[in-house]
Amino acid sequence: MPIERGLQYLRHMQRVTLKNLPMPLEKTDKWKKEHPDENTIKSIMSRKGPISRNSLPPYGIDPIQAEGRLPWILTVPKEPYYEGVEEARQYLPISLRTLQRLIDLRRINPDKPVDLPVLCNTKLFSIQPDQRQFGLQLTDEGADLFSTPINLEIQWVASELAIAAIERCGGVLTTRYFDPISLSALVDAKKFFERGEPIPRCDTPPINAIEYYTDPKQRGYLANPDLIREERQRLAQKYGYKLPDSSKLSPLFHLRKDPRQIFYGLEPGWLINLKDQTILKPTDNKYQTFYHS
Amino acid sequence: MIKSLSLVKILRQCSIRSIRHFETSTQPPPFSSDPTSNPISQQLPLIVNRQLEYPHVRYPPLQAWLETLGQKRDEKLGIVDLHPSIWQTSPRLDILYENIEWQKTYKKIDWAYTPPHHEYPSMRGKPWPQKGTGRARHSSRYDPQWKGGYKVNGPKGPTSFFYVLPKEKRIEGLCTALTVKLHQNDVHFVDSFDLPTHQPTYLQELTEDRFWGPSILFIDDTDIMPHNMMFASAKTEGFTVMPVYGLNVYSILKHTTLVLTIRALNKIEKKLLHALNSYDTQKDQPAPPDEP
Repeated sequence: MPIERGLQYLRHMQRVTLKNLPMPLEKTDKWKKEHPDENTIKSIMSRKGPISRNSLPPYGIDPIQAEGRLPWILTVPKEPYYEGVEEARQYLPISLRTLQRLIDLRRINPDKPVDLPVLCNTKLFSIQPDQRQFGLQLTDEGADLFSTPINLEIQWVASELAIAAIERCGGVLTTRYFDPISLSALVDAKKFFERGEPIPRCDTPPINAIEYYTDPKQRGYLANPDLIREERQRLAQKYGYKLPDSSKLSPLFHLRKDPRQIFYGLEPGWLINLKDQTILKPTDNKYQTFYHS
Repeated sequence: MIKSLSLVKILRQCSIRSIRHFETSTQPPPFSSDPTSNPISQQLPLIVNRQLEYPHVRYPPLQAWLETLGQKRDEKLGIVDLHPSIWQTSPRLDILYENIEWQKTYKKIDWAYTPPHHEYPSMRGKPWPQKGTGRARHSSRYDPQWKGGYKVNGPKGPTSFFYVLPKEKRIEGLCTALTVKLHQNDVHFVDSFDLPTHQPTYLQELTEDRFWGPSILFIDDTDIMPHNMMFASAKTEGFTVMPVYGLNVYSILKHTTLVLTIRALNKIEKKLLHALNSYDTQKDQPAPPDEP
């Protein structure tokens, strides 16, 4: 036992006084000789070179191999405020003012559901899926002017005012996610059908977007419809308008797309023949289970 | 082991009469029939059991004699239990060194100051022309190479060496100092500091008979001492009287013996055990107690 041996030594040895205590190792001359500090080293070494002139490179760099230059990695500055720019999603803006204008000029038909291919056919927006653009977003400029009920499907909404402006007139809004492959089919639908590919199945949104598309406040397409009804009432109370009766609405406003569906009326997996005006549907079991899952 | 060694010490120091008396300790001493002359009027032994907080997992309590200053004869009144966390720690002499160095240097202020170049009288002009005189060439009278010249990188102003040693090291320092003194037979426990006379010769002869060393540190729990004790210790060289809050490693090692009262011992153990067994952070520490 170390304690008892130490106490045994205490009993047999001299009385411990102020002058009997052992000096710590770091203060003896022998230690100081073997471990000189920075100033003694500097006084012994040469008076020239990067050490004496306080111009040593950072640790980890050999001053001889560096040849007087810092490595390229250290010369290029960091700009951390641009972090994540390669993975960020972009949405092109469309305001309520342009929407109202397009409806007044009869470029969009409010009696049919307004979604992405309808808006892209106006040729006002050029969406490029390979440039990380994922669709359109609704801005609230012109919220006072908007006055037509429509069934709108948009990819992103940032402000509550825009949602309130649409629902005040009796319209319906949903936010929907399209992955890049289905987006390229939607943006130019005629060109896609001429290619002769089957309609793709839309993927689920990425992890950092799931919270948005399951939120009833943003009217996500994966959210609970009961919660969406609550939020509509809440918004109406907040902004001071009255919601119309849901039973008096036309069946237009009840139209919604399946989470895997891209076009209204067309299912994923179907091949469309524009020349012969026919649709080809898969009959094999595995294709049907895949496209219907 | 300590008990046997203390017995050996008693055999060496005390007279045989006192041992015979100790064996029959419950009876009153036979030689003094006057009750006023015998200061010990209570029934012996005085202390048999002492309650210890936070009992140690491995070691049983240590034991030491309880003595008196009331009479010159060395008479043991009983046995005192000591807590092994304080009185049987490992004898870390390096921690003692650190404590002593801290006590010496935290008060130190270096007042050295050498005025620099701009605090000297003006140095306009050469003392003598560059050429012609046979002397060395100089530009000013107060250069560093001159006698009485300024110093370039000398000490500048008061520098303080203040620092606070961590709490755990200070606590461990006190515990090791106490163990060192106990295991080298330099600690004595006394019931109180009540002396019969104020004459300093009484205390001096008492300590000489008992071989208590030239310098003694008396520790009581409060800073108000009996008058006789104060007078006697003030007149002798080497005796210091101290309350518990003044206990420090430097004083413990400077004096050859330690003399504690039972009340001081209780207070010290309570404070040190509480500090050893608590895990308070700097924020959660409780307020200091009211009594010193």
